[in-house]
Amino acid sequence: MKWKVLAASIMLGAASLAQAAVSADARSFTLPNGMKFIVLESRAIPNANMYTFWKVGSRNEQPGTTGLSHFFEHMMFNGSKKYGPKMFDSTLEAKGGSNNAYTSNDVTVYQDWFPAASLETVFALESDRIGHLSIDPKLVESERGVVLSERSTGLENSNIRLLSQEVSGVAFQAHPYSWPVIGHESDIKAWTQDDLVSFFKTYYAPNNAVAVIVGDVKFDEVKRLATRYFAAIPKRALPPKVRTVEPPQTGERRLFVTKASATSPNLMVAYKTPQANHPDYYALEVLQSILAEGKTSRLYQALVEQQLATSVGASGSDGFDPGLFAVYAVAADQVTPARLEQALLAEVARVSKDGVTEEELQKVKNQKLVNLYRQLETINGKAQNIGWYETFFGDYRKLDEVPANFKKLTRADIQAVAAKYLVKSQRTVGVLAAKEPE
Amino acid sequence: MKMIVSAGLLAVAAHAGAAEFRLPAFETTKLPNGLTVYLMERHEAPIIAVRTVVKAGSVNDGSQPGLATLTADATLLGSTQHSKADIDKAFDFRGAMLAASGSAEQLTLDADFAREDAAELMPLLAEMVVSPSFDAAELAKLQKRRLIGLSQAKEAPRNVVKAYYNSMLFGSSPYAIPERGTIASMTALRQQDVQGFHQRYYRPDNAAIVVVGDFKTADMKARIASLYANWRATGPAPKTQDNGKVNADKARVWLVNKPDAIETTFMIGGPGIARNDPDYVPLQVLNTVMGGRFTSWLNDELRVNSGLTYGARSEFATLSQTGVFGISSFTALPNTKPALELALKTYNRLWDKGIHAATLESAKAYVKGQYPPRFETSSQLASLLGDMFVSNVGREQIDNFMRDVDALTPARAKALAERHFPRKNLQMVLIGKADAIRPIAAAYGEVTELDINADGFGPVAK
Repeated sequence: MKWKVLAASIMLGAASLAQAAVSADARSFTLPNGMKFIVLESRAIPNANMYTFWKVGSRNEQPGTTGLSHFFEHMMFNGSKKYGPKMFDSTLEAKGGSNNAYTSNDVTVYQDWFPAASLETVFALESDRIGHLSIDPKLVESERGVVLSERSTGLENSNIRLLSQEVSGVAFQAHPYSWPVIGHESDIKAWTQDDLVSFFKTYYAPNNAVAVIVGDVKFDEVKRLATRYFAAIPKRALPPKVRTVEPPQTGERRLFVTKASATSPNLMVAYKTPQANHPDYYALEVLQSILAEGKTSRLYQALVEQQLATSVGASGSDGFDPGLFAVYAVAADQVTPARLEQALLAEVARVSKDGVTEEELQKVKNQKLVNLYRQLETINGKAQNIGWYETFFGDYRKLDEVPANFKKLTRADIQAVAAKYLVKSQRTVGVLAAKEPE
Repeated sequence: MKMIVSAGLLAVAAHAGAAEFRLPAFETTKLPNGLTVYLMERHEAPIIAVRTVVKAGSVNDGSQPGLATLTADATLLGSTQHSKADIDKAFDFRGAMLAASGSAEQLTLDADFAREDAAELMPLLAEMVVSPSFDAAELAKLQKRRLIGLSQAKEAPRNVVKAYYNSMLFGSSPYAIPERGTIASMTALRQQDVQGFHQRYYRPDNAAIVVVGDFKTADMKARIASLYANWRATGPAPKTQDNGKVNADKARVWLVNKPDAIETTFMIGGPGIARNDPDYVPLQVLNTVMGGRFTSWLNDELRVNSGLTYGARSEFATLSQTGVFGISSFTALPNTKPALELALKTYNRLWDKGIHAATLESAKAYVKGQYPPRFETSSQLASLLGDMFVSNVGREQIDNFMRDVDALTPARAKALAERHFPRKNLQMVLIGKADAIRPIAAAYGEVTELDINADGFGPVAK
């Protein structure tokens, strides 16, 4: 097979695509109040989107107010000065638009999807809630019920979510990454009106956001409307920095979660790794794929093909602060957690000890680049990537460097990060099963 | 996340505003062996999506539930020319996507890859469909994973509520057959069953190849003709069969006991419509009002006004011969009764109060505005063309969508609501802690109790 020739053709294709899609066409401007806008004109469909990235997530909370950033994501739909309760959604939908939002450890992101002709409506709605949110106590109460339901349905329906939450709680002892983004149940029930008002004032300042608009729009028109709708929102002091630094982990940690309905054990092993903008980021991304992306990945071959697990996965650390690189597996029939763990750890250790092959490395480079193709095929993928690089790497143009950043990695780079981070003293091992072993 | 409501079944619509949205140009041809080929050129990204679709599914399982979808999955296990390892390596190395899937009435093999890789990967796709190996050892492993998967699926009520619902509504007819099978039926399947199913249904006169993306039509047409030229049908073509209708002669409740449940997951409804029903498009608009968007009546009442749930929705799930309508949500155990009452009260607004003209206009704008992003990628378009092939839907349904949405008036909406939304003898599935919700269930119809840990999705035969 002509692996090398093909790989080269893939790489050139992705690089040219990324440049064509982003650096050549995207333009940005910043209003005097500090709110930044990045615009990418894209005419494939007569639609557009607006993704607003706010630098606030669960890492900005404290015990007693956990889950508040996520709760606020909900409250942002519950009424402002001009558009009262329910009007955000009803106004947008009547103009052909829809919306959603998500909150992570680090950011809260609002997404509007709409026919391009409805851009002004979207700006009117977004600016009104950013500038003049009203926080109605009655709506706070009903929204509490919604969030409690969201929390319970997640725990009811996803073993991995439950296990992951517990693993983070043990892996982090000081840093806010220790609590779940959705918050502790007691905190959800206890937030006060003052907590909400103060949270909004602290974090929803225009200079703490970046808005990305991608689609069948014109840059000049976006700038004109942005000035009209957002410029009057006053700039405020930037939020306080997160002070807590997680102390170094000094040894392996372990935990067990009991869930009666689990039909087979779930295993998660999470290692401490650096923040997104760290120089090792791309090597860790490749390592993650070598371990768990696709049927030829190390863990799929060693665990699923060997009938020790029914599924495997991995997730990377991509926040403002050092986080977790997690690998997980669901045991096959009659496979004990201990046996699964042994096999999983053996595969992880093999990377540190023997490294990876040239073919494996090239495979993952190819996967990363074709995945980039796929993401940049949609206006949503473009908006998400632009906003993500701007937020976590400080400049959306760094998206263009992605192909080169993967291309330059060597086998030694991958082995080095495996040996540096995937070590016993830095790991937390969690097991979820119906019964605790006796 | 703010919400879970999504109008996932809106397969067709058009964008708000005056501009037309039409399906991009594509070419349909039929090879001498009867294979239908769809080719749609798009050059926005250097990607090609290929979907092979076979007109068969769990409705053809007969007494062997799970056979059709196992056969679809098993096409990934290698061909007579290349092992599974060869194929996995070829696709994985190039960052290509390769997946098989199956449902009630179609079995698919999907791939997408960089344009440059077509010459290497397309022959492998053809081999997997035309001459799969169904290697015994690999098949045994797949079967074992499927068995464990069946147990694991029941850990999450949201994974299985629809299987119970379909089983309840369609009784003993083919549409009731669970797509993934049951533990007993999956255990009993043998290599020759899979080979036999493949021989009966994977034949060129019962399949289509859809290719969408960055290629030249003439070149691709020649490539497909060459790759599939030797595919021959053997034996008589599969006959059209009656897959059944919804049985809703009385109000019924299936109470599925999950002893450790912390919430109650429910689905309520009755008969719906076929995918090619002439009223399909306007019913998408009406369902948007009822439970197809964030401000829908159901989500507004159950989530926004009362905080009883994180999400409530409804849908017309269409099949080629008929379909079902269902309202679905979940709520904390203590809220079970108020949530069910509110769901039914809200549903009855359709007849008690009707749809206000402004609400109807908003829903029309919404379905039109949300349409274009559904067909933005080559994979999405390949999937649409495949669905059109299986369900006998012509491009006019897509191209006329905006017109048909715009033509919907309040009077016609009222008539459609009367005609298509099931009103009497509602069918209900409740998954939760039976001891706590048994008395509540009894208020809604004849109760049948099931245990979620029992095999399958219907009552255990006595």
